[in-house]
Amino acid sequence: MNDRLVILEITRIEAAHLAALVTQFLELLETSDDSHPGRDPAIARLVPDAYRDDPEAAQEFRDVTQADMIARRIDDAGLLLSTLGAVEPLPGDAALDDPRYAEVMTVTIDSDESRAWMRTLAAVRLVLAERLGIQVEDDRADDDPRFGIYDWLGYRLDGLVHAISDD
Amino acid sequence: MGVIASLALPDLGEDIRVDEVARSLRPWQAVVWNDPVNLMSYVVHVFREYFGYSAEEATRLMLAVHNDGHAIVAEGAREQMELHVQAMHDYGLWATVRQAPE
Repeated sequence: MNDRLVILEITRIEAAHLAALVTQFLELLETSDDSHPGRDPAIARLVPDAYRDDPEAAQEFRDVTQADMIARRIDDAGLLLSTLGAVEPLPGDAALDDPRYAEVMTVTIDSDESRAWMRTLAAVRLVLAERLGIQVEDDRADDDPRFGIYDWLGYRLDGLVHAISDD
Repeated sequence: MGVIASLALPDLGEDIRVDEVARSLRPWQAVVWNDPVNLMSYVVHVFREYFGYSAEEATRLMLAVHNDGHAIVAEGAREQMELHVQAMHDYGLWATVRQAPE
């Protein structure tokens, strides 16, 4: 099921946005305060309580697991960025119609790398959802461009899931 | 009064012990909860990849999470359930450990 290579086709503008998002995600992880995960709800969502009705057990679990979980997320995000390779800087408004950004680049990833991509895309969506205040499915403010990025991440994640599944 | 008390007390003590034994025998569960963010296709993928469930079983569990708000994805020893829950968190799913309800 998982020994295949996945070839992603992605435009340079998509790659630039993805690299910028994942870089921000890395910064969020690297500055997260281990002792106060609840201070940022996005971090709290990435390392949720493992016990619903037992705060003491939840805290014990957190003490043992949280630092490793954040470290694995940092590794995953770093792997995504390194496989994405060199990307163009995000264009200013004036450069948006530069044809270079519409060029399609290909990214070839193996099964470990695609797992890192999927976990990271899923995690960045969770963070964005927290920032956008998404409480229920189809919670949308269509005029907010960040929803476009959120949906795009979902589209890319869904594509990856189908690419690595047998069916 | 005194007779009734001396008869009743041992029974009460027995009940409590039986409850404790029953409690310690109940298995632990890993529970995945619904959230508005994770894609259905991704959740199915996680259940297949991590637990090795068939596409049908993974889809049944995903739909249970989606429709009922949660699903029990594994049952067994507490330590094992904690490992499963940690793995679910790595994938970005919302999961908790609990002892099987009575």
